[in-house]
Amino acid sequence: MKLKTFLGLLVGIAGLLAAIFIPIPGLGLPAQITLGIFILAAVFWIMEPIPIYATSMMVIFLQIMLLSSQGFIFSVRTAPLAEVSVNETGALLVPAESLGEDGSLYLNKSNKALQVVRPSEVVDLGDGTLAVRGEGLNENSLVIADPEHRSITAGATSYTAFYHTLASPIIMLFLGGFALAAAAVKFGLDRSLTRVLLKPFGKRPAMVCLGLMLCTATLSAFMSNTATTAMMMTVVLPIVASISSTDPFRKCVALAIPVAANIGGIATPIGTPPNAVALAALKESGINISFSTWMVMAVPFTIVLLVFAWWVLLALFKPQANTLEIKLAGSFDKSAKAIASYVIFAVTVLLWVTEKLHGISTTMIAFLPVAILPALGVLDKKDIRGFSWEVLWLVGGGISLGLSLKETGLAAWLIGLVSWNSLGALGVIVVFGVVGYLIANLISHTVSATMIMPLAITVGAALAAAGDFNLVASIVSITAIISIAMVLPISTPPNAIAMATGIIETKDMAKVGVIVGVAGVLLAIVCGIAYWPLIVS
Amino acid sequence: MNQIYILCVDDEADVLEAVERDLATMEEVFPLEIASSADEARQVLERIDAQGAELGLIFCDHVMPKETGGEFLSWLDGQPQWKRSRKALLTGQAGLEATVSAINNAGLDFYVSKPWTQEGLLQAAKRLLTDYVISRNIDPLPYMSILDATRLAEHSYKRGLISDT
Repeated sequence: MKLKTFLGLLVGIAGLLAAIFIPIPGLGLPAQITLGIFILAAVFWIMEPIPIYATSMMVIFLQIMLLSSQGFIFSVRTAPLAEVSVNETGALLVPAESLGEDGSLYLNKSNKALQVVRPSEVVDLGDGTLAVRGEGLNENSLVIADPEHRSITAGATSYTAFYHTLASPIIMLFLGGFALAAAAVKFGLDRSLTRVLLKPFGKRPAMVCLGLMLCTATLSAFMSNTATTAMMMTVVLPIVASISSTDPFRKCVALAIPVAANIGGIATPIGTPPNAVALAALKESGINISFSTWMVMAVPFTIVLLVFAWWVLLALFKPQANTLEIKLAGSFDKSAKAIASYVIFAVTVLLWVTEKLHGISTTMIAFLPVAILPALGVLDKKDIRGFSWEVLWLVGGGISLGLSLKETGLAAWLIGLVSWNSLGALGVIVVFGVVGYLIANLISHTVSATMIMPLAITVGAALAAAGDFNLVASIVSITAIISIAMVLPISTPPNAIAMATGIIETKDMAKVGVIVGVAGVLLAIVCGIAYWPLIVS
Repeated sequence: MNQIYILCVDDEADVLEAVERDLATMEEVFPLEIASSADEARQVLERIDAQGAELGLIFCDHVMPKETGGEFLSWLDGQPQWKRSRKALLTGQAGLEATVSAINNAGLDFYVSKPWTQEGLLQAAKRLLTDYVISRNIDPLPYMSILDATRLAEHSYKRGLISDT
């Protein structure tokens, strides 16, 4: 075992145990266990002793075992039972201590659930016993002796709540996106679109670069950023090969693709998994954002940043050649299944952006491609197996962890450590944005969003309740900032692909990443404060 | 990332030297092992296997004293852990019959005739190793800069080998 793996496992597990067993003033047991799971997950996600999606699965497992009302700690099974008997009149005799302060009796319902019974009649017999009558109270009732027992006071959620996160509407939205993307890749729609979109940009290097970036961003808004980058690399590498090896323009195009893919992911809700984390966090707070609202906010931001990145790339890597040879062979696949996939793609996106007209939510429409594409045989079982399921698990585990952070009050306790009110909206976006940006450059964007979002939304909700704070605008702003963290090859998979081609060096990537990233952070903050609040209230 | 080796088997030391020299640019990603006979090659393979590493490509001479290259490659093709390894015959003397037999019985992927050019050998190695990485469905990123990046990129997006994190 490598030292880093060993250390990661050790620190993660030690963190879990310490948070559970060392009493922390102000935190109840459920919140302490949640803190332990949060620490374990954070350490595992950062040091990666196990794959990040495996950590997400582990989070859900720990939650159902340790935090659920059926688990090892908060199950009614763990509560001591009172001695009960039935007297000659048919009343149930129970110890006086077993009656709660609010006059309720707590029953262990077949070892699975807690049942609260309000007796219709309570007679104090004087010897420390009560004679109670009520519906469902009989000699077989398993009365819990201590109404202050943790299985009653913790208010633990059922294990099914954690499982449900895997089928949450946001996960289904992404599943719909995966189905569309799989169909597009299968029939080469992505490549065909690239060919068509690239044509008007001519042969001048600067314009070709802009065309490539717009294509990449458009595709990555609907497909995975990573798949888009890999696909565009197959377009770009032959172009690079035709450029003289001393021309800086080689680096320009090789960098343009990952930069545009990272930025493009921000444009739609399904563009990149951090968007899912943000949408899920907002949904937990009772806020649903439609596909079109997100796009109205994000698309202008994306375009401005994209054009800026293009300008930076051309300034840093000035092309020497005057014209470029671009050969993109092929034509639109016109088979029946291919046409079906184009139509479903178009219809789904159309329904997504017109939610205001028909009122069917984005997450419901997302199931249209999931249901129809396999029905038409456009996607077969091999294609379905090829979805990035691990990404759904990653997001699902994050949503599940966010649930416990909120429900146990841990998020509120954590943010209570800082006094946010004095910071105001700007301060909150800056703090979470900068922290998120720094973390996201080093680890997975989705994981960064998962760790930051539950805290940001708790702070935001508290400020929004006090007025003068736009929760949606702030959350979208933080999400966009996380997505533009792209300084290092490890920052995002698109960066890793671009580096792997060997055309660029880390310092080239870092230079562009820092300039575009810092500009993006500033732009996102300005939008979050001044522009997006005009769109969403 | 699993280490992927190239193995070259020839009874003439200068041939081994020449191959080492010609493939030097790949050494950083694909270390080259050499063996002067089929038996020595088996020992090298055992060592590679013990490390948990893989054999991506073997160049094998045909005319060797104890066991011919054709025979050795056909034995190799029958071993489950080396079945996927790309096999090339590197020879100037194999007759038509021996070559046909190697193709039919040893799953031969390529034939390099002596004398070869450095460019030709490098191209062959790149093509065969790209085939190998694709057939193994592993993360292609570590090999992209040395091998055929376009084919690896195409394979990885069609098969969804790398996903957004």
